[in-house]
Amino acid sequence: MGKRLSTYGPFIPVLALYVIIFLVGKGVQGMWQVMAMLTFYCALGQAFNIFLGMTGYVDFGYVAFLGVGTYGMALSITYLAHQGMTGPAVIIIGFLLALIFPALLSMAVGAVALRLRGAYFAIATIGVNEGFRYLIEGAKIWNGSEGMIFTSELNQVLGRDTASGLSTFWADVYLFIIAALAALVTLHFMRSRIGYALTALREDEDAAKVMGINVTKYKIIAFITSACFAGLVGGTSWALKTPYVFPPEVFEIHYTIEAIIIVLLGGAGTLMGPVIGALIYGLSKYYLSIILPGFQLLIFAPIIIVIIIAFPDGVMGVVKQRLRGTSLARFIE
Amino acid sequence: MSLLKLEKVTKRFGGLVAVNNVSLEISEGERLGIVGPNGSGKTTLFNLISGVHIPDEGRITFRGQDITRFPPYKRAPLGLGRTFQIPRPFASATVRENVAVGAMFGTLGKELSVNECLELADHYLDFMGLRAHADKQAGTLTPVEKKLLEIARALAMKPRLILMDEAMAGMHPKDIDKMVRLIQEVSDRENIAVVAMVEHIMRAVLGLAQRVVVLHQGAKLVDSSTKEALNDPRVVEVYLGHPPEE
Ligand SMILES: Nc1ncnc2c1ncn2[C@@H]1O[C@H](COP(=O)(O)OP(=O)(O)O)[C@@H](O)[C@H]1O
Ligand SMILES: [Mg+2]
Repeated sequence: MGKRLSTYGPFIPVLALYVIIFLVGKGVQGMWQVMAMLTFYCALGQAFNIFLGMTGYVDFGYVAFLGVGTYGMALSITYLAHQGMTGPAVIIIGFLLALIFPALLSMAVGAVALRLRGAYFAIATIGVNEGFRYLIEGAKIWNGSEGMIFTSELNQVLGRDTASGLSTFWADVYLFIIAALAALVTLHFMRSRIGYALTALREDEDAAKVMGINVTKYKIIAFITSACFAGLVGGTSWALKTPYVFPPEVFEIHYTIEAIIIVLLGGAGTLMGPVIGALIYGLSKYYLSIILPGFQLLIFAPIIIVIIIAFPDGVMGVVKQRLRGTSLARFIE
Repeated sequence: MSLLKLEKVTKRFGGLVAVNNVSLEISEGERLGIVGPNGSGKTTLFNLISGVHIPDEGRITFRGQDITRFPPYKRAPLGLGRTFQIPRPFASATVRENVAVGAMFGTLGKELSVNECLELADHYLDFMGLRAHADKQAGTLTPVEKKLLEIARALAMKPRLILMDEAMAGMHPKDIDKMVRLIQEVSDRENIAVVAMVEHIMRAVLGLAQRVVVLHQGAKLVDSSTKEALNDPRVVEVYLGHPPEE
C-alpha cells in the first residue's frame, strides 16, 4: 500500500484539479466554455510536457501533431459516412487515426531530427509544421486549402442530437480523460527507467550516453508518446467539437507557443506543472481579454517573460523544492 | 586473457595527433595509473575507450569483444564505467536517482527493477559516505561530494573496469587518502579494474596503482611497475623538461 501510494500518489492532486475544473464548469452558470478552454490547455500542456518537459528539447512544429490528429478524425468521419457507416465505431476509428497519423509523422521527423542536438533540433522543427501545411495546400491533399467541413457527416453518423451533444459537452469530457491519461503516462514514465533515462539526457546528454543510455531511443519514445496525445487532443478539440478543419487553423504556430508557455510556467518535466501552467495562462488570458480587450497581449507577454525568467523551474519546480523532505512530497511530482 | 586491450590506437584532431599509436593491456581487477602532463592525451585516450571518440587507426577489445566502433551506450552495459575530469552529475535529479541511473543502465540493468536499482544506489551511497545527501539535488553538492557521487554512480553500474579522469585533482590530501582507500577496497572486493589518470605522479597514484603508464605528447613513453616508473629518467624528463643525464 505504502509503495503503491508513493508510486501513484502524485496522480491524486492532479486528478483532483481536473475534477474541480469539471465541477466548476458543470455547476457554475456560464463557466462551461471557460472550463473547456482550460481543459484544452491542460491537455495540450500535459501532452507537450512528455516531450518538452521530460527531454528538454523544444519542438516548434508541435502543433502539426494536433493538425494531423484533427485530419485523422475528420477523414474517418467523412469517408466512413460516405460509405454509409454509422454509430460510435466511426468515432473509435477516428480516434485510432488520430493516434496513427501523429505516430507516423513523429517517427519520420524523430528518426531524422532527434539525432540533432537541442538547438539544431528546434530549428529543424520550425520547418516541419510549415512544410506540412504547404504540402497539404499545394498538393491538394485532403481537400487542400479548402479544408474539410463534415457537420452533416457527423450528424449522419451519430444522429443530430448526439452530434450536438458531442460538440457542446462530450468532446470536452473526452479532453478531460485525455489530459488525465497523459498525466498517468507521464507518471508511469517518471517511475520507470524511461523517466530516469530522460532526466539523465535532459541534464547531460554525453554523460547519459557514457552511462549506457541509448539517448536517441528514449528521445523517440518521448516524442512519439507526446505526439500521439497531441493527435488525440486535435482529433477531439478541433474535429469532434468543431466539425471542420482548415490547414491555416490547425497548423497555426501560436498554439505551439502557448504550449511552450504553459509547460514552462507550470514547471517543465513535473507532473502537475502543465495543469498549473494551463490555469495561470488560460485564466489570465481570458480575464485580461475581458478587462482590456485588444491589449491583453501587450500586458501579457512581458508578464510571462518575467515569470519565466524569475522562476526558470516553473511554479511546480519551486513547490517541489519547498516540499522536499516533507510528508507532502510524495503527493507532488 | 586481458580485460581491455588497445592495439596501436591513434586519434588525430586535424593536424594534431592527440593519441599516437598506443597499445595497452589491462587485466581483470588490475589498477593502472596513467600519468602525463596536461595535453598529453589522457582524456582523449579515455574518450576512445568509452566511445566518445572513434579512433582513426587501431583496435580496442573489451572482454574479448571488438568494441572499436561501438557507441558509448553499448559499451557501458558490457562493464565499462567512467568518471569525468569535471564531475557531470544530473543536476536536477537527486543524489540517489543519479546513482540509480548507473544501476539501471549498467551490466545488471536488464535484471534489476527500478526499486532494486534505488536500493543498490543506497548501498553505494553508504559506501562512499554520501547517504545523508541521498535526497538532495545532485547540483547542490560540494565539488568533492560530486566526485564521490561520480564514483558511486560508476560503481552502481557493476562495471568490470572504471576509468577515472583526474579523480583526485583539486582535493584535500585528507580526502584523497580516504578516496584511495575506498577505491582500493571496492576494486579488491568486486574485482574491478581501475584506470586512474592524473597529471602528476603523486602519493595517491602510487598508493593506488600497481602499474603506471606515462603518456607524452600522445605516445606511450613508459609502461612499468609503479616503483620502476618512479626511477625512470624518461619520466623525470617529461616533468622537468630537460633531458636526463646520459
Ligand atoms: N575534441 C577535441 N578537438 C580538438 N582537439 C582536442 C580535442 N580534445 C583534445 N584535443 C587536443 O588533444 C590534445 C590532448 O588533450 P587531452 O586528451 O585533453 O590531454 P590531457 O587529458 O592529458 O590533458 C591536446 O592538445 C588537446 O588540445
Ligand atoms: Mg584531461
